[in-house]
Amino acid sequence: MSSWRRIFPEWLSPYHLAVLAIGLGALHALPYLVALSPYDHNQMTLAFLFVAVALAWNWIGGFAGQVSFGHAAMFGVGGFVAARALQMQLFPFWVPWVIGGIAAGAYGLAWGHPTLRLRGPYFSIATIGVGEATRLVLTYWQDFTGGATGLNLPINAQLKYALYWYALYFLALVAIASYAIRNSRLGLGLLSIKSDVEAAADVGVPVVFCQDLVLFLSGAAVGIAGGIYASYFSFIEPSDMFGFDRSISFVLMAVIGGVGTVFGPGLGAVVFVLLRQFLIASYPQLYLGLYGLLLVLVVLFEPLGISGLIFRVARRLRTQRSAR
Amino acid sequence: MARGLELLLSAILLAGLYATMAYGLGLIYGVLRIVNLNHGGMIMTGAYLGWWLHERAGIDPYLSLPIVATVCFAIGALIYHGLVRYLPRGAAGGAQSLLLLFGVWLVLRNAAYLQFTGNDQVIRTEYSTMAVVVLGSALSVNRLIVFAIAALMLLGLHLLLTRTYLGKAIRAVAQNADSCTLVGVQVERIYALTFGIGTALAGMAGLLLGTLFSFNPTFGAVELLKSFVIVVLGGLGSVLGTALAALILAIVEVFAILLLPAYLTGAVGFVLLVLVLIFRPGGLFGHRVLG
Repeated sequence: MSSWRRIFPEWLSPYHLAVLAIGLGALHALPYLVALSPYDHNQMTLAFLFVAVALAWNWIGGFAGQVSFGHAAMFGVGGFVAARALQMQLFPFWVPWVIGGIAAGAYGLAWGHPTLRLRGPYFSIATIGVGEATRLVLTYWQDFTGGATGLNLPINAQLKYALYWYALYFLALVAIASYAIRNSRLGLGLLSIKSDVEAAADVGVPVVFCQDLVLFLSGAAVGIAGGIYASYFSFIEPSDMFGFDRSISFVLMAVIGGVGTVFGPGLGAVVFVLLRQFLIASYPQLYLGLYGLLLVLVVLFEPLGISGLIFRVARRLRTQRSAR
Repeated sequence: MARGLELLLSAILLAGLYATMAYGLGLIYGVLRIVNLNHGGMIMTGAYLGWWLHERAGIDPYLSLPIVATVCFAIGALIYHGLVRYLPRGAAGGAQSLLLLFGVWLVLRNAAYLQFTGNDQVIRTEYSTMAVVVLGSALSVNRLIVFAIAALMLLGLHLLLTRTYLGKAIRAVAQNADSCTLVGVQVERIYALTFGIGTALAGMAGLLLGTLFSFNPTFGAVELLKSFVIVVLGGLGSVLGTALAALILAIVEVFAILLLPAYLTGAVGFVLLVLVLIFRPGGLFGHRVLG
C-alpha cells in the first residue's frame, strides 16, 4: 500500500482511477463488441456529450455553489464559433472544437467576472438575463449565425460515426478534470467559497481568481460540447443552441444527479436523456410538467438527487454489515 | 418632439403596470427572503384565468380582477404551506428555493399547455381598440384604464402596509421574525399571507397584461426578469421607489425602439438587468436589496 502512495499523488485514489479507466475502456470497446443499432450509437454519442456538459456545469454550479441558468450561452457560442471555423476547412476537424471552447470560455469570463460578485439567487437571475440577451442578439446577428435558418456544417458520415469515440474522449477529459478540480486546492477553495465567501477571503482564498478560473473552464468545456453537438447534427441554429430550455436542461441534469457531487451530475444526465426519450415517445404533452415535478421532489426530499439516494443506501448497507 | 412626448406618455402608462407586477416579487423577497421564480408562472396563470372567465363566463376582465386575485392568493398560500415552508431562506438557502419554485412554474406551464394549448391568446373586449386623444396624441382607452387600476392597487398596497395592523405585522416580520414570535405575532401566518398577496399581485398584473398583449403558456418569463430589474433598482419597502424604478425601465424600453432594430428591443430588459446587478446592486433609492 505504501508503494501505491508513492506513485499516486495524495488526492488521487488508485481505486477511483481503476473504476474510471475500466468504465471508459468498456464504453470505448462497446461498438466493436456489440452490434449497436445506429439509433443507439447516436443516442450514446449524445449522452456522452450531455454527461460531459452536466459535469462541467457542476464545477461552477455545484462546487462553487453559483447556480447558472445561462450555460446555453456558452454552449451556443462554442457551437457557432466551431461551426464557422469548420466551414473554413483550414484545420483538422478537432481544432475548431477547441477554438469554439476557448471562445466560449472567454465569453463566460467576460460576463462572469463582473457578475460572480453576486451570490446565490442574484447570480442565478443575472445568468438568466445573460442567457436570454445572448440568444436575442445572436439570433439577430445573421452574418455570424445565419439567423433563424441556421448554418450547415461540412461533416461526412464517416466522421459522424467516429464522433462516438471523440465524444467519449472528451467525456473522459471532463470526468478527469472534475475529479482533479474537486480534489485539488482549487476545489477546496471553491467549497470554502460555497460555504462562506467572506470567511474564505479572510483566510486567503483568492475568491475572484478561483471563481473566474472555474467559470472559464466550465464555459470552455460546455463550448467544446456545443461544437461537437453541432458537428453531430452537421447543422446549427440559434434557437436550439441558445434556448432557455437548453440552459434549464443542464440545471435539471445536475439537480437530478446531485449538485456538488463529483460524478452525480453525469448520472443525472444519463437519466435525463433516457427520460426525455421515453417521455417524448410516450407522453410528449407531459414532459415539462414531469421535469418540474421531479425538480420539486428532489429539492424537498433528496437535495443530493440520485447521488444522495446512493449514499443513503450505501450507508444503510454499511451499518447493517457492522451491526452483524 | 411630438413623437418624444407620445413615447413618454406611453412609458408612463406602461410603468404603472410594471410597478404592480414587480411589487409582488419585491414584497415576497422583502419578507420571506425568497426570490419567487414562480412569479412568471403566476403572471401567466392570471392572464389565462382572466381570459377563461371572459371567454366562458363573459365576465369583463376588469370585473374579474377580484376573482383572479382570490384564486391566485389561494394558490400562493397553498404553495407556501405545501412547499416553501420547508426550505431554508436567504443566501444560506442557496438555490434550493429557486429550483423548487422553478419546478412549480414548469408544472403550471405544462398545465396551461394541456388546458389551453400553446396558441397565442389575447383578452379582447369591445373597448380594446378604442382610443382617446390626450395632448395631441392618441392613447388607447384600455391602457388608460389599466394604468388607473394599477395606480389604485399600488395606493391600496401602500395603505395596507402603512395604515393597518396586518401591514404593521408584515413590516415587523420583514425586520425581525424572531422578535415577532416573542411578542406574539403568528409569523408563519404572516409568511403565508405575504406569499399569497405577492402571488395575487402577480396574477392581477398578468390579467392586466393579458388585456394589452398576447400570451401563451411561456408568457411571464420576460415579465419575471423585468420585475426583478425593478425590484433591484427600486429597493424594498417603498411603493414610490418601485414606481420610479418601473418608470425608468419603461422609459428605457420605450425609447430603445427609437434607437434599436425592433428585434433587439427585447434584449434591452435583459441587458439592463445584468448592468443593474453589476453596477447598482444596492438599488437607486430606499433600502438595499442585496445584503
